[in-house]
Amino acid sequence: MSAITSETTPAIVVPPLAKSPGYWAGVWRRFKYDKVAVAAGIVVLLIILMAVFADYIAPADPTRSSMLRRLRPIGTPGYPLGADELGRDMLSRLIHGARLSLFMGVVPVFVAFFLGSIIGVSAGFFGGKFNTITMRTVDVFYAFPSVLLAIALSGALGAGITNSLISLTIVFIPPIARIAESVTTQVRSMDYVEAARASGAGSGTIIRVHVLGNVLGPIFVYATSLISVSMILASGLSFLGLGTKPPTPEWGLMLNTLRTAIYVQPWVAALPGVAIFITSISFNLLSDGLRSAMDVKG
Amino acid sequence: MAQEAQLPTTPDRGGAGTPLLQAKTLTKHFPLGGGAVVRAVDGVDFAVLKGETLGVVGESGCGKSTTARVVMQLIPQDKGEMLFDGEIVGGRSLTLKEYRRQAQMVFQDSYASLNPRLTIEDSVAFGPTVHGVSKPAAILKARELLTKVGLDPARFAARYPHELSGGQRQRVNIARALALGPRLVILDEAVSALDKSVEAQVLNLLADLREEFGLTYIFISHDLNVVRFISDRVMVMYLGEVVEIGPVDELYDDPRHPYTRALLSAMPSMDPDNRTMEAPLAGDPPNPINPPDGCRFHPRCPHAQTVCAKVKPVLARTGEGAREAACHMEVAGSGHSRAPKLEEAA
Amino acid sequence: MTAPLVRMENVTVRFRGAQVVHAVNGVSLTLEAGQVLGILGESGSGKSVTLKTLLRLLPESRTDIGGAVEVDGRDVLALNPQELADYRGAVTSMIFQDPALALDPVYTVGEQIAEAIVRHEKVSQKVAMARALELLELVRIPSPARRLKAYPHEMSGGMRQRAMIALALAARPKLLLADEPTTALDATVQIQILLLLRQLQRDMGMGMLFVTHDIGVAVEVSDRLAVMYAGQIVETGTVRELLRDPQHPYTRGLLAANLHGAKKGERLEAIPGAPPALNSAPDSCSFAPRCKHAQERCRATLPPVVELGEGRVVRCILAESALAAA
Repeated sequence: MSAITSETTPAIVVPPLAKSPGYWAGVWRRFKYDKVAVAAGIVVLLIILMAVFADYIAPADPTRSSMLRRLRPIGTPGYPLGADELGRDMLSRLIHGARLSLFMGVVPVFVAFFLGSIIGVSAGFFGGKFNTITMRTVDVFYAFPSVLLAIALSGALGAGITNSLISLTIVFIPPIARIAESVTTQVRSMDYVEAARASGAGSGTIIRVHVLGNVLGPIFVYATSLISVSMILASGLSFLGLGTKPPTPEWGLMLNTLRTAIYVQPWVAALPGVAIFITSISFNLLSDGLRSAMDVKG
Repeated sequence: MAQEAQLPTTPDRGGAGTPLLQAKTLTKHFPLGGGAVVRAVDGVDFAVLKGETLGVVGESGCGKSTTARVVMQLIPQDKGEMLFDGEIVGGRSLTLKEYRRQAQMVFQDSYASLNPRLTIEDSVAFGPTVHGVSKPAAILKARELLTKVGLDPARFAARYPHELSGGQRQRVNIARALALGPRLVILDEAVSALDKSVEAQVLNLLADLREEFGLTYIFISHDLNVVRFISDRVMVMYLGEVVEIGPVDELYDDPRHPYTRALLSAMPSMDPDNRTMEAPLAGDPPNPINPPDGCRFHPRCPHAQTVCAKVKPVLARTGEGAREAACHMEVAGSGHSRAPKLEEAA
Repeated sequence: MTAPLVRMENVTVRFRGAQVVHAVNGVSLTLEAGQVLGILGESGSGKSVTLKTLLRLLPESRTDIGGAVEVDGRDVLALNPQELADYRGAVTSMIFQDPALALDPVYTVGEQIAEAIVRHEKVSQKVAMARALELLELVRIPSPARRLKAYPHEMSGGMRQRAMIALALAARPKLLLADEPTTALDATVQIQILLLLRQLQRDMGMGMLFVTHDIGVAVEVSDRLAVMYAGQIVETGTVRELLRDPQHPYTRGLLAANLHGAKKGERLEAIPGAPPALNSAPDSCSFAPRCKHAQERCRATLPPVVELGEGRVVRCILAESALAAA
């Protein structure tokens, strides 16, 4: 006799059940109570909106310069945040700069998230020699300080936005692959994966049903914490002349060009740095909050 | 198609009373590097008869859990083979995938053995879908099984593991194991983590399910009271080997191997007027790296003699019943002074 | 009669946080010097919390403790930090379930024991080391001189547990708290540790509170037993009284669930359901939802505290009729 003897009718109707508030509902509930993380999330959202609607929000053309109004202080009529070394409106430039800065922060991390996850999850799941070879190769890249690696790659590929994106992506693959590998190794040894294997499931099914759902969350949270690093590195590359080219507004590049004005208008010169700081710390607090909200026990 | 929505039932080939599973010289060693080898399971022979419960007892390092994993084929054996209802496991007529449908396992940690991101019914339905049952049919089956293990689907099926108590989760794990319609269920310390009052409920459930589905259990536990209650036969393991195996009452009432005796007399007495006064064994169970020659128990055995350090005793029938023990004291002419005389044996 | 070694009077422990947990709800117990009281209960019954209250080991910032706790004439809840430091180890000390966590992995066993001796007795390192060696001999660790220089990870489970007992006894406490000290051990090792504890307790004249979920273990070491359920002691008495004549349905259920002497194939008389969540203080019998003898009264008010004799207390209406019949 077997447990599976249900007389099957051609059309099986499964009566729906009231789903209990699932995992993500719990995450959201815990996240809501984390005031710092919610505030950071709102700041990130505002920055994204600001970048998207820059054309409508910015009071002036970010590239229109005026030799007469160079290096105006904060609060000058018509220039609420002052003017830069070419007399361009700082506020408009900061708003427009958010576009490229965010782009440079988010895109390499996302691409690296996909590639690094594929590398790390497969290395972690299959283990053995495959794991050793893959992870040691990743370690070679990991051995370089990320700033040096980014500069070296950008330098080798040549200046420009695309090359900056490629070099930043390469910089972020190793740390993400590492995290993915260690989380996957942990999940792989869980009893529910063993039980799935004992049910006769193949590797593909096990990865799809039992591994990905449990590893992508933590990897994603880690990746969001890299967005700030990516923004800073991208700014650094622009600062060194390896990223964006003037007159495109980008925070790192603005910081570079205003460097000479630091004794004349220190507050104005510091503004792009403040923007980078606020954005990156918001991303970091957001990912911290996500991490603790996703941590369920019992 | 109606056909794809259900799993085939497996006919009984050998008939009742024949072994469902025969393990022959199962061996699993784990190399540690530096030449050290953990001899976790070392030439284990046993059979599980259809419809019976075989209890497996022993202390940490005795290899009972490794044996379970090898039997479930979660790790391949180094040596030896298994016959399931007369067919070689992993052979041509019984593929590994088909074997894994007919043999299932319940683990000790009820939380770790459920995917935290799947609802209870999805977890139970997973196995059948792997074997080609359609998702809706598998879900219906899952709900039916949840009812069988005492969890009302309307309340529990759509919940997540962390919302359940330990006892409820272990019921889910049992339902999950049964979803494939197995004939053999391996219970690896399946009730050990539960509170006593909940443990009794689950033991009752296991007895009911065995009756209803005609299951065969391998019940692994360190709790000798529980093993005595649930098992028909008991196998005692020490350092990767079987030292004694036999019907439960015979073995508990008259243990033949000195280790079985020690294990049983280490049980709390439950009698304030007759407390245990002396520990039967000194020291900890040794670890299975480079175990001693001869009888593995001889360094701790109160009756050890020269022969015990030199010759490895083999499992041999002893007494009148169906009992086997691996001890020189039970074999005539073994060279141990307590062994029965050869004439007597003849 | 002299004051008892331990006196807990209507002790309540409440954890504040996202959810309030009423872990202990009015526990009263006494322990005479040189006696062993076994506290028996399942997970979440409040048995470990009760024990930790005696050493003030609970996180003070999120714990509200009510009632009175007296050990050896000291008001434990009123000790200032300096007094508490002197109290811990010297008057009361504790052994835990997992010695691997309770022992510091970066110091040798000898150093850890000697440190505890020096802290309480202001003797030289050399004297302390000699005492540490004596303690290892006392807990019967084989080749103690060598083990003195061993790190915890170099010892087996049973040996580590012995080392932890030696550490707990370093300052000759009057009260030893044991929190499931044999749960993680194998059967043949467990009985060794139980026998050792029983002997040390007798030889040193210590009082001992022994917390466990295993009724067999409790019987093996205790003079008296207290059964806890949902943060309350539901029944106390001598081991004999509880084993031979259990009054509370929960105690009876626990005894049945131990399976000692249960016949194969018999149906177990299992207690249905699961222990309650402790989000509010109990206003009725906490066991009533699982009890087959439950009556309307059980669900309406707290059960009576019935004193059947000296030190024999049962929190159940069933005991009232037992009292009347007697």
